[in-house]
Amino acid sequence: MPRDSERPRHTGRLLRLGALLAGIAVALSFPSMAPSPYELTVGIAILNFAVLSTSWNFVGGFTGYISLGHGAFAGLGAYATGLLVTKGELPSFVALFVSAALVAVLAIPVGYAALRVRGASFVIVSIALVLIMLLVFQSWASFTGGSRGLVVPRPFPGKLRSEHHEIFYFLFLGLLALALLAWWIIDRSRFGMGLKAIREDEDKAQSLGTPTYTYKLVVFVVSAAFTALAGGLYGLWFGDLDPVFQFSILSGAYMVLMALLGGVRHLYGPLLGAVVVGYGLEYSKLEYGDTPLHLVFAGLLLGVVVMFMPDGVIPAVTGLVARVLGTGETSIREVTAAELRDERDEREADVRPDHRPDGKRPDGKREVRQ
Amino acid sequence: MPSASLVFQSIVLGVLLGGLYALLAAGLTLYFGVMRVVMIAHSAFLILAAYLAWYAHRETGVDPLLTLLVTVPLFFVAGVAMQRLLLTRLRPATLTMMSVLLTFSVALVIEGLLGYAFSGTQRRIRLGYSSASLEFFGARVAVVKLIAFGLAAAALLGLYLLMRHSRFGQALRATIQHREAAALVGIDTDRIAGYGFGLGLATAAVGGTALSLDTTIYPSLHWHWIGPLMAIIVVGGLGSVPGAAIAAMTLGLTQSLLQLELSTTWAQTVFYVALFATLAVRPQGFFGGRLAQRF
Amino acid sequence: MSTTQRLSWRVAALASATALTAAGCGSGGGSEDSPDDPITIGVSLPLTGDFSEPGKGVERGYKAWAKIVNDKGGLLGRKVELKILDDQSNADRVVSDYEQLIGRDQVDLVFGPFSTRLVVPAARVAEEYGLLFVEPAGAAPEVFDQGFKNLFYAAPAVANDHYNHLADYILALPEAERPKSVAYAAMDDPFAQGTAYGLKDKLEKGGIKTVVDEVYPPNTTDFGSIAAQIASSKADMVVGGSQYQDGVNLIVALQQLNYQPKMAAFSTAPTEPEFAKAIGDKTEGILAPTGYTQHADYPSNKDFVEKYTEQFGKAPEEDEANAYTTGQVVAAAVEAAKCASQDEECQQKLVKWLRGNEVETVVGPLKWDDKGRPQSAHMIQQWVDGEIQIVLPEEQKEADLVHPKPKW
Repeated sequence: MPRDSERPRHTGRLLRLGALLAGIAVALSFPSMAPSPYELTVGIAILNFAVLSTSWNFVGGFTGYISLGHGAFAGLGAYATGLLVTKGELPSFVALFVSAALVAVLAIPVGYAALRVRGASFVIVSIALVLIMLLVFQSWASFTGGSRGLVVPRPFPGKLRSEHHEIFYFLFLGLLALALLAWWIIDRSRFGMGLKAIREDEDKAQSLGTPTYTYKLVVFVVSAAFTALAGGLYGLWFGDLDPVFQFSILSGAYMVLMALLGGVRHLYGPLLGAVVVGYGLEYSKLEYGDTPLHLVFAGLLLGVVVMFMPDGVIPAVTGLVARVLGTGETSIREVTAAELRDERDEREADVRPDHRPDGKRPDGKREVRQ
Repeated sequence: MPSASLVFQSIVLGVLLGGLYALLAAGLTLYFGVMRVVMIAHSAFLILAAYLAWYAHRETGVDPLLTLLVTVPLFFVAGVAMQRLLLTRLRPATLTMMSVLLTFSVALVIEGLLGYAFSGTQRRIRLGYSSASLEFFGARVAVVKLIAFGLAAAALLGLYLLMRHSRFGQALRATIQHREAAALVGIDTDRIAGYGFGLGLATAAVGGTALSLDTTIYPSLHWHWIGPLMAIIVVGGLGSVPGAAIAAMTLGLTQSLLQLELSTTWAQTVFYVALFATLAVRPQGFFGGRLAQRF
Repeated sequence: MSTTQRLSWRVAALASATALTAAGCGSGGGSEDSPDDPITIGVSLPLTGDFSEPGKGVERGYKAWAKIVNDKGGLLGRKVELKILDDQSNADRVVSDYEQLIGRDQVDLVFGPFSTRLVVPAARVAEEYGLLFVEPAGAAPEVFDQGFKNLFYAAPAVANDHYNHLADYILALPEAERPKSVAYAAMDDPFAQGTAYGLKDKLEKGGIKTVVDEVYPPNTTDFGSIAAQIASSKADMVVGGSQYQDGVNLIVALQQLNYQPKMAAFSTAPTEPEFAKAIGDKTEGILAPTGYTQHADYPSNKDFVEKYTEQFGKAPEEDEANAYTTGQVVAAAVEAAKCASQDEECQQKLVKWLRGNEVETVVGPLKWDDKGRPQSAHMIQQWVDGEIQIVLPEEQKEADLVHPKPKW
């Protein structure tokens, strides 16, 4: 985080607080301003995206491990909630939390298998998870309803549909706040420092004594639980579950796209990405109506983000703003190992290779020793 | 209990299917070997090749096999271009993760464009010999399946010979095994990596044509292929071409036999069960692959 | 409304939704019953994605209906206007589309989408806003078990009853000619499975053995293994609970194995115009249920076939006919209730009228039970002399049923 001289820092904090309060005010007043229930459903869809990508960002943002399979946890959360309500006859919101706990438990062996190996295998496992869940929920029709679908009873049966939307809007908003709070707390904790060390250089983090495997597993489970909460809440709101729509790789990919677009290192990155992508999806569908070009747009957007701004728009924009305002570069920057390596490689082209620049470690690093 | 002839029939079908899996998995392994890239778009290119074969057949009536003359070089060039223009521009430190996303985005673009050009309708090439079959020790083997298998086997053999017995193959293997060392002994590893990538994509062209002979194609079909293929390369040991081929055969055969007792859907889970079992028991894969340890 | 207008409307709708500036804007027009305003009808259809092919068929059927109605001066003297959105074959989208049509765009009436998987979530939206929901494509039993009060299926029979005439025919055959064993293969889809299992239940009750019972996922493209099991069972009859391409693939795979059943019945696939070419013209004797025939002599059908052919350059198929039927059913209710608007009283009048009355349509007279299930039956067609012809029931047949079926 930029640490500048006192005054700009003070104003910066005030600005941020103001923006936060304004954001909350807008979010809270949205339902009363929406002209019809339809706008509420758009709001709910975007909030759902935001919770999902924020949940994804527990793994993606802190550890740098990219999971394309979080759609599976959302689907599992939805199905577990639905099944607990219909078969277990639990009250809806008890079922929601029980299902999140169940998914968290399930995430332990999945994480165990996926996190033992680095990178490539992790991604493969994450994709496989979605595909296997799709197969299981389709095949095990006697339990899950299979392709006939599963109907989740309404938690508030007496309410009109529009009232129902309004309640769920606030529930999603609450869940988003909870997820953001959890992310914020981890971000400032010792645990978070350790995780970020993994992101920058897992080998070094390990050699410095960070229990990398345990850390990764814990944050993976936390991420799965939040994703399941979002999925379960969506299931309660939407009411009709079908394996084909619940276990889709595409939904997992959208979470990644949103988080990456906004910026995985930032608390509000995924939220921002969700607003942009949620709106963009709708817009591309409008403009290009009945063609499958929305896939092309999503693909191109993802490609552009990966190629040109892998740190997301927030750093890109803040960098720009900083330059315009003339606050300039701060003394301590947060840089990735990758950037450092790139810089070093460039320098090494001129300088002798054994001449290493020192003292430019990411600030998280020094505090991971235990 | 299934009869002996049915079991035999299933074994034959399993081997035929395994051959196609093996070829495609070999391509995926090549990408991973030369670049440490998990190429999600591999199966999207597979479907693209199948569409090209179908389209050429529909428009001109040429045998789909002839499209190979165009698609194989075309895909090779596309592979080299993709490696050069896209993948080498990613930061080396995050290459493995980011390349997944980048190739994922390529897959989405291909799927979207195929849907745009040909709509979501399922397509199938109609050949004079579509329903012809041969008797093989009491099992019936469809001619088209046999051609597809022959194509896959020939391509795999060609790949094997190329990698074993040519200078380029040596350089390619050296690059896969130890890129820095290969560079030190004077191999232009960047160029070799590009060609390796092109070669991988060329397998998708062959596989796609083989696929188009006997099955239906539609734009989102590639999701159906990528899962089993990725499971195969992990089970085989990331980066090991023979490992991938053996795993492909084994799993293809298992899937085919399981279908006798289980439903088609359950039988598909064999790939993922094998994947999770491999990672839990032997993360480096069952057939070689030193590479997997680190990646 | 032109396409661009429609688009800009939606852009505006969205912009306001997210930019939160829409509080003051009025909602869309059409809710007041002025005689000059067109009646707007909202539809969401899978125009892209997995169900796009039948989705487009339904779209053509709806468009043909709107044109024919408008050419005759409209409904209640008002023009009808369709507002069709694309749901990308996705359940989330179909719900959001109907929310938009009903909430934001204030359409007067809604028509149903395509595919059971989309009909249930869509019907729930209409139900909860109290709108009549007549749909052309949700034939699976689950659709009618949801407790929907406003739903009507605009086709002759639900999926499980499609083969009723064939079941009766088989069970009436003399012992020696009756198939003794049957192999079933059905797509894991409520509709396709429903058709095959409807027949299975009836034949099993009649004492005919089931020797293979396979369910395959919709994404199956290789039918080698399933075909091998069917062929190895040597079943006298094969029944495919298929959509289109899977039926073709299964038949080709069976032909590759040189399996020769005495009877072969497949849903949907054999009635498609492309079918004969797709399986290399080896169609002779294949049976299929259908809810519609272009040759039916119901009064409105002649008109429909003629005008449809004029508009689209080819004759309508079942999807188009079911969509048209949906239009006819709603139109009949609107004429009888003399209203077309979203308000509860009007919609209740429409629902109530349909509960108690029969409607003349292109698929024959339709009436419904209290769950919205239509009470007629499907006809059985067979490929005879290179042409698909109606063979059952007796009263409507164009050719005699050929049994046993010639080799393919």
